[in-house]
Amino acid sequence: MRFFANVPKRRKAMQFMTAAGIIILAAACSAEADMPETHIVEMHGLTFVPATVEAKVGDTVLWINTDVMPHTATAADGAWDSGMMEVDDEWSLLIEEAGEMNFICTYHPGMEGVITAE
Amino acid sequence: MIKQILVGVAALATATVSACASEVDDGGPSDMQIAHIAYTAGNIDIRYAHLALAISDNPDVREFAETMLRDHVAVNDAALALLAKLEAAPEDNETSQVLLSQALEKRNELKVLDGAAFDKAYAENELAYHQFVNKTVEEAFIPAADNQEFKELLGVALQTFKVHEGHAEMLVEKTK
Repeated sequence: MRFFANVPKRRKAMQFMTAAGIIILAAACSAEADMPETHIVEMHGLTFVPATVEAKVGDTVLWINTDVMPHTATAADGAWDSGMMEVDDEWSLLIEEAGEMNFICTYHPGMEGVITAE
Repeated sequence: MIKQILVGVAALATATVSACASEVDDGGPSDMQIAHIAYTAGNIDIRYAHLALAISDNPDVREFAETMLRDHVAVNDAALALLAKLEAAPEDNETSQVLLSQALEKRNELKVLDGAAFDKAYAENELAYHQFVNKTVEEAFIPAADNQEFKELLGVALQTFKVHEGHAEMLVEKTK
Protein backbone atom coordinates (compact mmCIF):
# COMPACT_ATOMS: atom_id res chain seq x y z
CA MET A 1 0.00 0.00 0.00
CA ARG A 2 3.04 2.32 -0.23
CA PHE A 3 1.57 3.54 -3.51
CA PHE A 4 -1.08 5.34 -1.45
CA ALA A 5 1.29 6.67 1.28
CA ASN A 6 0.95 10.31 2.33
CA VAL A 7 -2.26 10.78 0.43
CA PRO A 8 -5.53 11.92 2.03
CA LYS A 9 -8.11 9.13 2.53
CA ARG A 10 -10.54 10.38 -0.15
CA ARG A 11 -7.74 10.73 -2.72
CA LYS A 12 -6.50 7.29 -1.72
CA ALA A 13 -9.91 5.86 -2.52
CA MET A 14 -10.02 7.68 -5.88
CA GLN A 15 -6.54 6.46 -6.78
CA PHE A 16 -7.46 2.94 -5.81
CA MET A 17 -10.59 2.99 -7.97
CA THR A 18 -8.70 4.48 -10.91
CA ALA A 19 -5.97 1.87 -10.65
CA ALA A 20 -8.52 -0.92 -10.32
CA GLY A 21 -10.37 0.45 -13.34
CA ILE A 22 -7.21 0.50 -15.43
CA ILE A 23 -6.39 -3.07 -14.43
CA ILE A 24 -9.90 -4.28 -15.24
CA LEU A 25 -9.89 -2.44 -18.59
CA ALA A 26 -6.49 -3.83 -19.52
CA ALA A 27 -7.61 -7.34 -18.61
CA ALA A 28 -10.78 -6.91 -20.62
CA CYS A 29 -8.83 -5.67 -23.67
CA SER A 30 -6.42 -8.55 -23.37
CA ALA A 31 -9.28 -11.02 -23.01
CA GLU A 32 -11.00 -9.50 -26.05
CA ALA A 33 -7.83 -9.88 -28.12
CA ASP A 34 -7.77 -13.55 -27.17
CA MET A 35 -11.49 -14.11 -27.76
CA PRO A 36 -12.20 -16.61 -30.52
CA GLU A 37 -13.55 -14.99 -33.69
CA THR A 38 -16.00 -16.21 -36.29
CA HIS A 39 -14.90 -15.69 -39.88
CA ILE A 40 -17.74 -15.67 -42.39
CA VAL A 41 -17.19 -17.06 -45.88
CA GLU A 42 -20.03 -16.57 -48.34
CA MET A 43 -20.60 -18.94 -51.21
CA HIS A 44 -21.69 -16.56 -53.89
CA GLY A 45 -21.45 -16.45 -57.68
CA LEU A 46 -19.73 -19.84 -57.61
CA THR A 47 -16.87 -18.42 -55.55
CA PHE A 48 -15.90 -18.33 -51.88
CA VAL A 49 -15.96 -14.74 -50.59
CA PRO A 50 -13.41 -14.16 -49.17
CA ALA A 51 -11.34 -16.98 -50.63
CA THR A 52 -8.59 -16.44 -48.07
CA VAL A 53 -9.22 -16.60 -44.32
CA GLU A 54 -6.59 -15.73 -41.71
CA ALA A 55 -7.59 -17.25 -38.39
CA LYS A 56 -6.25 -18.33 -35.03
CA VAL A 57 -6.57 -21.71 -33.37
CA GLY A 58 -9.89 -21.60 -31.51
CA ASP A 59 -11.58 -19.41 -34.15
CA THR A 60 -14.54 -20.62 -36.17
CA VAL A 61 -15.06 -20.39 -39.90
CA LEU A 62 -18.71 -20.12 -40.90
CA TRP A 63 -19.72 -20.82 -44.50
CA ILE A 64 -23.06 -19.40 -45.70
CA ASN A 65 -24.50 -20.36 -49.07
CA THR A 66 -26.02 -17.21 -50.57
CA ASP A 67 -25.94 -18.61 -54.12
CA VAL A 68 -28.92 -20.01 -55.99
CA MET A 69 -27.45 -23.52 -56.20
CA PRO A 70 -26.04 -26.02 -53.68
CA HIS A 71 -22.36 -26.07 -52.76
CA THR A 72 -20.03 -27.81 -50.32
CA ALA A 73 -17.22 -26.60 -48.09
CA THR A 74 -14.78 -29.48 -48.20
CA ALA A 75 -11.14 -29.81 -47.13
CA ALA A 76 -9.03 -30.42 -50.22
CA ASP A 77 -7.36 -33.29 -48.34
CA GLY A 78 -10.75 -34.72 -47.34
CA ALA A 79 -10.27 -34.06 -43.60
CA TRP A 80 -13.70 -32.41 -43.27
CA ASP A 81 -16.76 -31.90 -45.39
CA SER A 82 -19.94 -29.89 -44.95
CA GLY A 83 -21.95 -32.17 -47.22
CA MET A 84 -24.46 -30.55 -49.53
CA MET A 85 -25.32 -27.00 -48.47
CA GLU A 86 -28.58 -25.80 -49.95
CA VAL A 87 -29.37 -22.12 -50.45
CA ASP A 88 -29.10 -20.19 -47.14
CA ASP A 89 -27.60 -23.19 -45.33
CA GLU A 90 -24.74 -22.53 -42.92
CA TRP A 91 -21.91 -24.79 -41.78
CA SER A 92 -19.08 -24.06 -39.39
CA LEU A 93 -15.66 -25.46 -38.61
CA LEU A 94 -13.71 -24.95 -35.37
CA ILE A 95 -10.04 -24.38 -36.09
CA GLU A 96 -8.17 -26.79 -33.81
CA GLU A 97 -4.70 -26.77 -35.35
CA ALA A 98 -2.34 -24.21 -36.84
CA GLY A 99 -1.49 -24.53 -40.49
CA GLU A 100 -2.83 -24.02 -43.97
CA MET A 101 -6.02 -25.73 -45.06
CA ASN A 102 -7.21 -25.59 -48.65
CA PHE A 103 -10.92 -26.01 -49.21
CA ILE A 104 -13.06 -26.57 -52.28
CA CYS A 105 -16.63 -27.05 -53.45
CA THR A 106 -16.77 -30.63 -54.66
CA TYR A 107 -19.47 -29.74 -57.20
CA HIS A 108 -17.74 -26.85 -58.91
CA PRO A 109 -14.15 -27.19 -60.09
CA GLY A 110 -12.29 -23.92 -59.59
CA MET A 111 -14.30 -22.94 -56.51
CA GLU A 112 -11.44 -22.88 -53.99
CA GLY A 113 -10.27 -21.14 -50.85
CA VAL A 114 -7.67 -21.38 -48.10
CA ILE A 115 -7.62 -20.98 -44.31
CA THR A 116 -4.34 -19.96 -42.73
CA ALA A 117 -4.43 -20.62 -38.98
CA GLU A 118 -1.79 -19.66 -36.41
CA MET B 1 -17.04 -34.41 -85.18
CA ILE B 2 -16.43 -31.62 -82.65
CA LYS B 3 -15.94 -29.19 -85.51
CA GLN B 4 -19.27 -30.24 -87.03
CA ILE B 5 -21.04 -29.84 -83.69
CA LEU B 6 -19.48 -26.46 -83.10
CA VAL B 7 -20.34 -25.25 -86.57
CA GLY B 8 -23.91 -26.43 -86.02
CA VAL B 9 -24.11 -24.78 -82.63
CA ALA B 10 -22.59 -21.57 -83.90
CA ALA B 11 -25.17 -21.52 -86.66
CA LEU B 12 -27.97 -22.25 -84.20
CA ALA B 13 -26.73 -19.64 -81.78
CA THR B 14 -26.44 -17.09 -84.55
CA ALA B 15 -29.92 -17.99 -85.78
CA THR B 16 -31.36 -17.74 -82.27
CA VAL B 17 -29.58 -14.48 -81.53
CA SER B 18 -30.71 -13.19 -84.94
CA ALA B 19 -34.25 -14.37 -84.30
CA CYS B 20 -34.25 -12.58 -80.98
CA ALA B 21 -32.70 -9.53 -82.64
CA SER B 22 -35.46 -9.50 -85.23
CA GLU B 23 -38.00 -9.87 -82.42
CA VAL B 24 -36.32 -6.83 -80.88
CA ASP B 25 -37.07 -4.99 -84.14
CA ASP B 26 -40.68 -6.09 -83.78
CA GLY B 27 -40.83 -4.87 -80.22
CA GLY B 28 -38.46 -7.57 -78.93
CA PRO B 29 -38.95 -10.82 -77.03
CA SER B 30 -40.86 -10.09 -73.88
CA ASP B 31 -39.37 -10.96 -70.50
CA MET B 32 -41.90 -13.77 -70.23
CA GLN B 33 -40.82 -15.21 -73.60
CA ILE B 34 -37.18 -15.05 -72.51
CA ALA B 35 -38.15 -16.68 -69.21
CA HIS B 36 -39.83 -19.52 -71.09
CA ILE B 37 -36.80 -20.06 -73.36
CA ALA B 38 -34.35 -19.95 -70.45
CA TYR B 39 -36.48 -22.34 -68.37
CA THR B 40 -36.83 -24.68 -71.36
CA ALA B 41 -33.07 -24.60 -71.95
CA GLY B 42 -32.48 -25.51 -68.30
CA ASN B 43 -34.93 -28.38 -68.50
CA ILE B 44 -33.26 -29.67 -71.65
CA ASP B 45 -29.93 -29.93 -69.85
CA ILE B 46 -31.63 -31.60 -66.89
CA ARG B 47 -32.96 -34.26 -69.28
CA TYR B 48 -29.50 -34.73 -70.80
CA ALA B 49 -28.18 -35.22 -67.26
CA HIS B 50 -30.83 -37.84 -66.48
CA LEU B 51 -29.86 -39.66 -69.66
CA ALA B 52 -26.17 -39.60 -68.68
CA LEU B 53 -26.98 -40.95 -65.22
CA ALA B 54 -29.04 -43.74 -66.79
CA ILE B 55 -26.38 -44.77 -69.32
CA SER B 56 -22.88 -43.85 -68.13
CA ASP B 57 -20.68 -45.64 -65.61
CA ASN B 58 -17.89 -43.09 -65.98
CA PRO B 59 -17.45 -41.33 -62.57
CA ASP B 60 -16.43 -38.03 -64.20
CA VAL B 61 -19.48 -38.07 -66.46
CA ARG B 62 -21.80 -38.99 -63.60
CA GLU B 63 -20.35 -36.29 -61.33
CA PHE B 64 -20.77 -33.69 -64.09
CA ALA B 65 -24.35 -34.82 -64.77
CA GLU B 66 -25.21 -34.62 -61.06
CA THR B 67 -23.86 -31.05 -60.94
CA MET B 68 -25.92 -30.12 -64.01
CA LEU B 69 -29.01 -31.56 -62.35
CA ARG B 70 -28.46 -29.68 -59.08
CA ASP B 71 -27.56 -26.35 -60.67
CA HIS B 72 -30.16 -26.23 -63.43
CA VAL B 73 -32.93 -27.30 -61.04
CA ALA B 74 -31.77 -24.57 -58.64
CA VAL B 75 -31.65 -21.86 -61.32
CA ASN B 76 -35.05 -22.90 -62.68
CA ASP B 77 -36.50 -22.89 -59.15
CA ALA B 78 -35.10 -19.38 -58.62
CA ALA B 79 -36.71 -18.31 -61.92
CA LEU B 80 -40.07 -19.77 -60.87
CA ALA B 81 -39.83 -18.04 -57.48
CA LEU B 82 -39.17 -14.72 -59.21
CA LEU B 83 -42.05 -15.24 -61.63
CA ALA B 84 -44.35 -16.05 -58.69
CA LYS B 85 -43.20 -12.87 -56.95
CA LEU B 86 -43.86 -10.86 -60.11
CA GLU B 87 -47.19 -12.67 -60.52
CA ALA B 88 -46.19 -13.47 -64.09
CA ALA B 89 -46.29 -16.60 -66.21
CA PRO B 90 -43.69 -17.64 -68.81
CA GLU B 91 -44.95 -17.43 -72.38
CA ASP B 92 -44.39 -20.31 -74.80
CA ASN B 93 -42.89 -19.27 -78.13
CA GLU B 94 -41.32 -20.57 -81.33
CA THR B 95 -37.73 -20.47 -80.02
CA SER B 96 -38.66 -22.72 -77.08
CA GLN B 97 -40.33 -25.17 -79.47
CA VAL B 98 -37.27 -25.22 -81.77
CA LEU B 99 -35.00 -25.89 -78.78
CA LEU B 100 -37.23 -28.75 -77.61
CA SER B 101 -37.34 -30.43 -81.01
CA GLN B 102 -33.56 -30.15 -81.45
CA ALA B 103 -33.02 -31.55 -77.96
CA LEU B 104 -35.29 -34.51 -78.72
CA GLU B 105 -33.19 -35.25 -81.81
CA LYS B 106 -29.99 -35.03 -79.79
CA ARG B 107 -31.33 -37.30 -77.04
CA ASN B 108 -32.31 -39.84 -79.69
CA GLU B 109 -28.75 -39.74 -81.02
CA LEU B 110 -27.25 -40.11 -77.56
CA LYS B 111 -29.45 -42.86 -76.19
CA VAL B 112 -28.37 -45.43 -78.77
CA LEU B 113 -24.75 -45.02 -77.64
CA ASP B 114 -23.04 -46.57 -74.64
CA GLY B 115 -19.67 -46.80 -72.91
CA ALA B 116 -16.91 -44.46 -74.03
CA ALA B 117 -18.82 -43.47 -77.18
CA PHE B 118 -21.71 -42.15 -75.08
CA ASP B 119 -19.39 -40.39 -72.62
CA LYS B 120 -17.54 -38.61 -75.43
CA ALA B 121 -20.73 -37.59 -77.24
CA TYR B 122 -22.40 -36.41 -74.02
CA ALA B 123 -19.37 -34.32 -73.04
CA GLU B 124 -19.11 -32.75 -76.49
CA ASN B 125 -22.80 -31.97 -76.53
CA GLU B 126 -22.64 -30.40 -73.06
CA LEU B 127 -19.79 -28.15 -74.15
CA ALA B 128 -21.54 -27.14 -77.36
CA TYR B 129 -24.88 -26.65 -75.59
CA HIS B 130 -23.42 -24.42 -72.88
CA GLN B 131 -21.51 -22.39 -75.45
CA PHE B 132 -24.75 -21.87 -77.34
CA VAL B 133 -26.82 -21.04 -74.26
CA ASN B 134 -24.18 -18.66 -72.90
CA LYS B 135 -23.89 -16.79 -76.18
CA THR B 136 -27.67 -16.46 -76.39
CA VAL B 137 -28.12 -15.35 -72.77
CA GLU B 138 -25.25 -12.86 -72.95
CA GLU B 139 -25.90 -11.37 -76.38
CA ALA B 140 -29.67 -11.61 -76.73
CA PHE B 141 -31.48 -12.20 -73.46
CA ILE B 142 -29.73 -9.93 -70.97
CA PRO B 143 -29.73 -6.89 -73.30
CA ALA B 144 -33.41 -7.50 -74.13
CA ALA B 145 -34.69 -8.08 -70.59
CA ASP B 146 -36.65 -5.17 -69.11
CA ASN B 147 -37.30 -6.17 -65.51
CA GLN B 148 -34.20 -5.44 -63.40
CA GLU B 149 -34.61 -8.45 -61.07
CA PHE B 150 -35.07 -10.73 -64.05
CA LYS B 151 -32.00 -9.23 -65.74
CA GLU B 152 -30.00 -9.88 -62.55
CA LEU B 153 -31.20 -13.49 -62.38
CA LEU B 154 -30.12 -13.99 -65.99
CA GLY B 155 -26.72 -12.60 -64.95
CA VAL B 156 -26.48 -15.14 -62.11
CA ALA B 157 -27.53 -17.90 -64.51
CA LEU B 158 -24.92 -16.81 -67.06
CA GLN B 159 -22.20 -16.83 -64.39
CA THR B 160 -23.23 -20.38 -63.45
CA PHE B 161 -23.43 -21.63 -67.02
CA LYS B 162 -20.00 -20.18 -67.84
CA VAL B 163 -18.57 -22.27 -64.99
CA HIS B 164 -20.43 -25.26 -66.47
CA GLU B 165 -18.86 -24.49 -69.86
CA GLY B 166 -15.40 -24.62 -68.28
CA HIS B 167 -16.33 -27.84 -66.49
CA ALA B 168 -17.60 -29.31 -69.79
CA GLU B 169 -14.31 -28.42 -71.49
CA MET B 170 -12.49 -30.48 -68.85
CA LEU B 171 -14.95 -33.36 -69.35
CA VAL B 172 -14.36 -33.31 -73.11
CA GLU B 173 -10.61 -33.67 -72.45
CA LYS B 174 -11.20 -36.55 -70.01
CA THR B 175 -13.52 -38.47 -72.34
CA LYS B 176 -11.45 -38.10 -75.55
